[in-house]
Amino acid sequence: MKRIGKWVFFVVFILILAFTYTSVFGIYSEYGDYTITYIKGIQDIRWGIDIKGGVEAVFAPEDGVDASDDQMNAVKSIIDLRLVNQNVTDYELYPDFTNDRITVRFPWKSDEENYDPGEAIKELASTAKMVFRGGSTQDGEELLTGSDVTRAYVSTITDSKGEHPIVVNLEFTEDGKTKFKDATTKYLNQTISIWMDDTCISAPSVNSVISDGNCYIEGGSNGGFSAEEATSLANKINAGALPFNLKIESYGTISPSLGTYALQAMGIASVAALCFIFLFMLIMYRVPGFVAFIALLGQLSISIMAVSGYFTFIPSFTMTIPGIAGMILSIGMGVDANIITAERIKDELWTGKTLDGCIANGTKSSLSAIIDGNITIIIVAVILILVFGPANIFSAIFGVSTTGLIYAFGYTLLVGVIANFIMGVFASRLMLRSISGLKFLRNKGLYGGKKKS
Amino acid sequence: MRQKFHIDFIKKSKIFFCISLGIMLICLILNIFLIHTRVDIQFTGGTIVKYSYSGDLTEKQITDVAQEATKDTISFTFAENLASSDANSHMVSLEFTNSKALTVDEQNEVTDALTKAFPDNNFIVEESSSVDASKGANFFFKCLAAVILAAVLIITYVAIRFKKIGGMSAGVMAVVALVHDLIIVYFVFAMFNMALDDNFIAVVLMILGYSVNDTIVIYDRIRENRRKMGPKATTAEVSNASMNQCLTRTICTTITTMAAIGSVLVVSLIYNIDSIISFALPMMIGLISGCYSSICIAVPLWVMWKNHSDKKNSEKNSKKKKSSKTEKKSGVELAKE
Repeated sequence: MKRIGKWVFFVVFILILAFTYTSVFGIYSEYGDYTITYIKGIQDIRWGIDIKGGVEAVFAPEDGVDASDDQMNAVKSIIDLRLVNQNVTDYELYPDFTNDRITVRFPWKSDEENYDPGEAIKELASTAKMVFRGGSTQDGEELLTGSDVTRAYVSTITDSKGEHPIVVNLEFTEDGKTKFKDATTKYLNQTISIWMDDTCISAPSVNSVISDGNCYIEGGSNGGFSAEEATSLANKINAGALPFNLKIESYGTISPSLGTYALQAMGIASVAALCFIFLFMLIMYRVPGFVAFIALLGQLSISIMAVSGYFTFIPSFTMTIPGIAGMILSIGMGVDANIITAERIKDELWTGKTLDGCIANGTKSSLSAIIDGNITIIIVAVILILVFGPANIFSAIFGVSTTGLIYAFGYTLLVGVIANFIMGVFASRLMLRSISGLKFLRNKGLYGGKKKS
Repeated sequence: MRQKFHIDFIKKSKIFFCISLGIMLICLILNIFLIHTRVDIQFTGGTIVKYSYSGDLTEKQITDVAQEATKDTISFTFAENLASSDANSHMVSLEFTNSKALTVDEQNEVTDALTKAFPDNNFIVEESSSVDASKGANFFFKCLAAVILAAVLIITYVAIRFKKIGGMSAGVMAVVALVHDLIIVYFVFAMFNMALDDNFIAVVLMILGYSVNDTIVIYDRIRENRRKMGPKATTAEVSNASMNQCLTRTICTTITTMAAIGSVLVVSLIYNIDSIISFALPMMIGLISGCYSSICIAVPLWVMWKNHSDKKNSEKNSKKKKSSKTEKKSGVELAKE
């Protein structure tokens, strides 16, 4: 067998320790009050509302109205707008086009003692009030309301210069057409502003009298609308013209104090679990046990990295209590690969072969069991992610999830198993082969074989 | 090969079957007559509001005021509030037994009534959840679909990977063990009077993966030993040897996994966090069951199936041989004539 250099162990060992340290504590530098984050640590994890407290609500069209995708987008944009107006920036919004549901989750700021989450939800679901006003201020004359508009959509036109700017088209009801004709006559070459709740979403100026109800809004001076801006505006106008009200189908609130408390508990639990497993593995398996524990640290740090945004290419992830439970569970099962291998090496040692030969045989014969066993866990984790996760190929059957808690469990479990393949199988083997080259560790007793041989 | 244990699992399998069936039967009887299964509002629809308050109030005082403020029947649960540093802080959770979700206004009425009646007791809504019945049912079917899908995929995987030892029978028996574990998990929820909720589904799916994992490691050994021990060894011998060789691993892995989930359980018991207790406790028992069922249920059942089908096959083969011989004989006789 090809012997692996003794230095390999130390390189892998130090690398894993470095990864563990940085994934837990992160790397920051401070200039006065200003902190630059180089690597994100545990404190940068975005916690779910079950930990930091918050609100979750599911809205649906009232009376079981079957809303179109455009209408759902309109609902989404109005909720977006209102959340921003409520100064909530860190929110999650999941539209479910199959079942016409929209789920919103946002944290409950701990500094707001008298915050009333119930009121906040009610406000989000309230009927959108869209008004066209003369002039650009809110006290301007009320010209049209949302019910006069049938729909808004994005298209391109060919203007006098032969360019093709993106515009937002408006269509009106019969009633609306007359009202709009009167309005454009009165406010020709002036501004008509469109108000959603108390926010001005657009303030175009009238270029001509529009009598056929065929109107479009061109983008402002800076080269017109971008496609994104136009879609956003059309969605907002559509929200104002929605033919149905929203009802609150379900909602939940958790106060910040309760969640922080749970997080603290989970922290203690994971440290306790790590300590126990370290001692257990060291006593049961000695050298392979020690290696297993280092690998476990590596596995844990990969799991943390996958949720904290350590790697910029993995989008940050909202961590919930079941997510932490999944992580702790994968710590427990993580050493399984090492246990299977260590047991095999023990078996080999008792047949009286050389240490190197035993390690080679043991690692080889244990691989199929490890792979088969882990694949079943991967199957379960993937199903959890697909069925309970945000939009994916299964959404057509199950709808987008409204219970994000189980999703986090599936995610951390999957990451745990993959990390286990890297650390528990690959890195462990590298370390074990290398460390067994050290003279003082060449006693077979340290691997579970007979003491004197 | 070194073998620490020499336990004849196959011979004792009838005892194991009896233990499992016995436990299930007792739980079933208790479940029907004494302890009824509770289903969380996540599935049935309904509303739960949790308040924290300080000071001494009798339970009667609170129930009267709250019940007055709503038409729905409320069931109350009282507890200490451990999250607060104040020793005299309490929790009360109100479950509205109407399956319709309570509107924000209706819920506010109850909260207002409580704060008005007890202005000095600092009533605060700590947690509230309100689910519409239709959404609850939808969620339930989603969970069911997830479980069935996972089971089908696992059987298929086992059937393909373990073709050499009769993949289909191995897959089916792995699933029998699995169903055994899931029933146990269900009874843990029922016996400890924990409501079936999304935690239940998470535990079910987790045990699904774990139980099959355990069984597969043993199947892997059986596949290997079948090759090593030669055709003379009976299925029972091969299986016994495999299980005994795997026993240390099975126990050690269960110990480390239990240590992990056990520390979660202990901490959440100390901190009194219901949502985690109802996750960790059934998971612990499910793990023990998963470890037990792969050794004491799945493999013995598989051996029984295997012996049965081998017998059938050999009978068929011997019949075929006999009949082909007689045919030949008659053929020869015919030629003679």
